Amino acid sequence: MESKKFSIRINDGERTFFAPAGESLLSVLFKNGILVPSACGGNGRCGFCRVKITDGAPDFTDSERSLISESDRLHRVHLSCQVRIESDLKIELPASTLNAKRFSGILEEKLLLTSDIVGLRIRLVNPEEIAFISGQYIQLRSPMYDGRESSIRAYSIASPPSDRNHVELNIRLVPNGLCSTWIFQHLQIGQKINLTGPYGDFHLSGSSAPAIFIAGGSGMAPFHSILHDLIGRKIRRDVAFFFGARTQADLFYVDELNRFMQENPWFQFIPALSNEPEDSDWKNERGLITDVVARYFPDCSKHEAYLCGSPGMIDSCLKVLTRNGMPKDKIYYDKFA
Amino acid sequence: MANPTNNEVVKTNLHASKFSAEGFLGSDNRLPEEIIAADERTMIERGIELKKLVSLLKSAYEKAREALGVEIELRSGIIAVYYESMGRIPSPFPGDGVFEKGEVVITETQTGRQIILTPLAIHLIEKYHFFQGTGCRHRIDPAIAIELVG
Repeated sequence: MESKKFSIRINDGERTFFAPAGESLLSVLFKNGILVPSACGGNGRCGFCRVKITDGAPDFTDSERSLISESDRLHRVHLSCQVRIESDLKIELPASTLNAKRFSGILEEKLLLTSDIVGLRIRLVNPEEIAFISGQYIQLRSPMYDGRESSIRAYSIASPPSDRNHVELNIRLVPNGLCSTWIFQHLQIGQKINLTGPYGDFHLSGSSAPAIFIAGGSGMAPFHSILHDLIGRKIRRDVAFFFGARTQADLFYVDELNRFMQENPWFQFIPALSNEPEDSDWKNERGLITDVVARYFPDCSKHEAYLCGSPGMIDSCLKVLTRNGMPKDKIYYDKFA
Repeated sequence: MANPTNNEVVKTNLHASKFSAEGFLGSDNRLPEEIIAADERTMIERGIELKKLVSLLKSAYEKAREALGVEIELRSGIIAVYYESMGRIPSPFPGDGVFEKGEVVITETQTGRQIILTPLAIHLIEKYHFFQGTGCRHRIDPAIAIELVG
């Protein structure tokens, strides 16, 4: 006997389909080609596969309570892997999630940008083109290797949207990291890579307010994409880009960003080093990136800020920027950090 | 406390998985409950309460995290450095949520002895008295931890 089916209505009917009772919402979405981000394969552990259920939601599971903040739960955010279909559902998904696709590509370039950050250039093969907004990210799947499990990790796109046939990534080696170790030690030029995306709502707002970009390490990637996009589309918007690193050896893309600065008077690039030897030839800013930002912008009440880096860097930047007058709703940062 | 690792899901999650390349037991041949019992004995022998040690570990982690990669001195001869990392890792114990991946490396300069702190490692000690198995990158050996941050 066929099991009972229920309707899944997405974004007020933008998509509607039917699913059998008892199946997980994540599984149903995947079967219908909607690639909600997930890193744990539906085990309720990663917290990525979030959907807003506006009607028909079951009670929250223990996994959901541990992974979704109270405030998000009040806004009816669920983990789709934890939701069993037991009634008709109305759900809301970001447009980017609804449009995300599976891609396979071939690694064309692999460059060591610093001792622990590698730049990848991937040519898309199937499909051959990707449409995304600067600031968005993809999820890359590493295969099984050395007896280690396959894994999925999120990386911001470093290339501009105008290059629809390629995706460039900046990836930092995490000690013992499953995916980054595979990328550093095993991934070869010419090898096939699987990814999904694009995802995320981190992108430059449509306002004309002067912008402060702050990044550290591989947090460079979305800003590299955004800057290329602004320049490519001849958009003039005041941007001050602060990039924090420990020493000169941890800097990358510097020549290119300095050239951008010379060619575009609206753009300022301010690298700052926190651990550079005092007697070195470094003539630019020294100290914590947050202190440097505070010196340049003692009043940033009229600015917007965009942050990409470690959670520690983001927390410190939030403190400095709000202390210097920036409204919290004008500070944007990558949620997956 | 009741054996928190007496659960099939936890036993599986403590081994290498899609979130942790080496797992939480390292090269240790002991059962998780034996690791917990041995480390609890060490704490008693050294005369420090687990709550106190956790508080010291959290404080050291936060101080180094706020320094954003600049080396700080916790006390004479003991330095700490925060290494950034994006992303989060789930606890091997269901229902605990996810934790920042950033590491704080604490080093005794004279001997080179180190412990590596992560929010998840500190959480596992606080909630389950589980310091992780020997050979794990993120095992916080209680005897060394007491000497470095105590």
